[in-house]
Amino acid sequence: MSASMTSGSVPGPAKDLKVARALGTRRHLTNTVVKALCIAATVLGLVLLGSILFTLIWRGAAGLSLTVFTHTTKPPGSNGGLLNAIVGTLIQTAAGTVIGTPIGLMVGTYLAEYGRNSPLANAVRFVSDVLLSAPSILIGLFVYEIAVEPFGGFSGIAGCIALAIIVIPIVVRTTEDMLRLITPALREAAIGLGAPKWKVIVLICYRAAMDGIVTGVLLAIARIAGETAPLLFTSLGNLNWSVSLKQPMASLPVTIYQYAGSAFDDWVQLAWVGALLITFGVLAINIAARLVLSRGK
Amino acid sequence: MSMTSESTQSQNASFGGVQARAHAAMNAARISIRNLDFFYGDHRALKGIALDLPDRQVTGMIGPSGCGKSTLLRVLNRMYDLYPGQHATGEVMMDGDNIIDPKMDLNALRARIGMVFQKPTPFPMTIAENIAFGVKLHERLSKSAMEERIEWSLTRAALWGEVKDRLQTSAMGLSGGQQQRLCIARTIAVRPEVILLDEPTSALDPISTLKIEELIDELKHDFTIAIVTHNMQQAARCADQVAFFYLGEMVECAPAAQIFTSPKQKRTQEYVTGRFG
Repeated sequence: MSASMTSGSVPGPAKDLKVARALGTRRHLTNTVVKALCIAATVLGLVLLGSILFTLIWRGAAGLSLTVFTHTTKPPGSNGGLLNAIVGTLIQTAAGTVIGTPIGLMVGTYLAEYGRNSPLANAVRFVSDVLLSAPSILIGLFVYEIAVEPFGGFSGIAGCIALAIIVIPIVVRTTEDMLRLITPALREAAIGLGAPKWKVIVLICYRAAMDGIVTGVLLAIARIAGETAPLLFTSLGNLNWSVSLKQPMASLPVTIYQYAGSAFDDWVQLAWVGALLITFGVLAINIAARLVLSRGK
Repeated sequence: MSMTSESTQSQNASFGGVQARAHAAMNAARISIRNLDFFYGDHRALKGIALDLPDRQVTGMIGPSGCGKSTLLRVLNRMYDLYPGQHATGEVMMDGDNIIDPKMDLNALRARIGMVFQKPTPFPMTIAENIAFGVKLHERLSKSAMEERIEWSLTRAALWGEVKDRLQTSAMGLSGGQQQRLCIARTIAVRPEVILLDEPTSALDPISTLKIEELIDELKHDFTIAIVTHNMQQAARCADQVAFFYLGEMVECAPAAQIFTSPKQKRTQEYVTGRFG
């Protein structure tokens, strides 16, 4: 070894060009196969998504008319719309977001700024992550136990609570992640000026993490706008016009669930329209989230 | 333009409370460190440090990486308090108070001892808000007084001319050198007595570095300055006295000319002549 080094020659056998060429060919082959598999998977995903969107537009646009937005759900054959379901979804999504976001924001702030790796913070983080992936029907059943049964009936507010519970862990995670991305140098700079910790968090860290946190909230809204299971046991659905949070409340996902399986052609048609509305609503929110995030870069 | 500089000068006098003064060879100590030990957990990172920071002079701190010079700066404004497991013992006296006393009011202390970091750290807000943020923590100023303070601090930081027409735009849009001068402006806007500079030019280009060095020369008329640097030419150019640190000890502290030409300690000589470090 040392002898070959001192004499200036490279250790090992002489380079065989045939071997080098064979290795190169193999590399090219592997590359081609893997690339083809990746493209196939991408195409499959896009085709599925495209066909869902296409079917929705195809079937849904046929039933799209002003009546959908001006009339409430009515018995089969009497030219009903989806007004109560649209308004119900807007109310419950908004209320769920308004209730869930501040709680999620505060928990996320606690985890990132105060708790860090303390046992309590680790426990809270674990529970929040479990909640993030909990089946949403369980959340519906839980709220049924605490807010429907004890108060003697299904209600809009119970639906709002169920949706808020879904919002919380999403906002917790994005808030904590975004706050942790802020460099310690920025915090130290603010503290070095004599700022108390809460001012550093509220005036500096929130501002620095704003885009990410807003994105998390938008994604949470997109998620709950399409939730059906947690509403089945809580706000139930309502065929009549009602904006009272004490009464059962209609929503688009639940109405789709009820109508799509019915035997009446006009109800099935309305289910398609509802699906179209909700899909494009969620799509719009997701695009908004992307725009907010890219604006920050 | 001449208006601006005139009004600025009168502000300098009123804010600093001092006119131009002749620098004595060694002013009285503004901060006086004795027997200072510092611990990261069990690791003793500073060992029995004794050092005076003379009033309105520049103290340069040099030494190889990990020798404790940045640690010492972070003791002076108690930045280490943010991190559990770090603690200091000994005396760091300023105006009869021991800075490392646990009962010290940290926010008030940090208003008196400002710090500028290695990398520019502009806050994600406008240039004017960056300056106002620190000032608002300690003073209630009218809108016009605040505007005056913003202009004063930016002028002192040699940045006013470059940003006066874009005070309401985001500070993130400034160049690295401008951002660092903004951080200096933000620090002096609080009107501290002492300014700590932790390798303030290591992330900057030579032109920006030159500007900051000129700035330090100008600022020492009103502020006591401690600067940590890896650049020995910079220490020679900026500092009145230089302290050489090695393995957590302060090996030698002397006027800059003496440290670089005739150091008393062998280790100092080896370091300043580039034998190690």
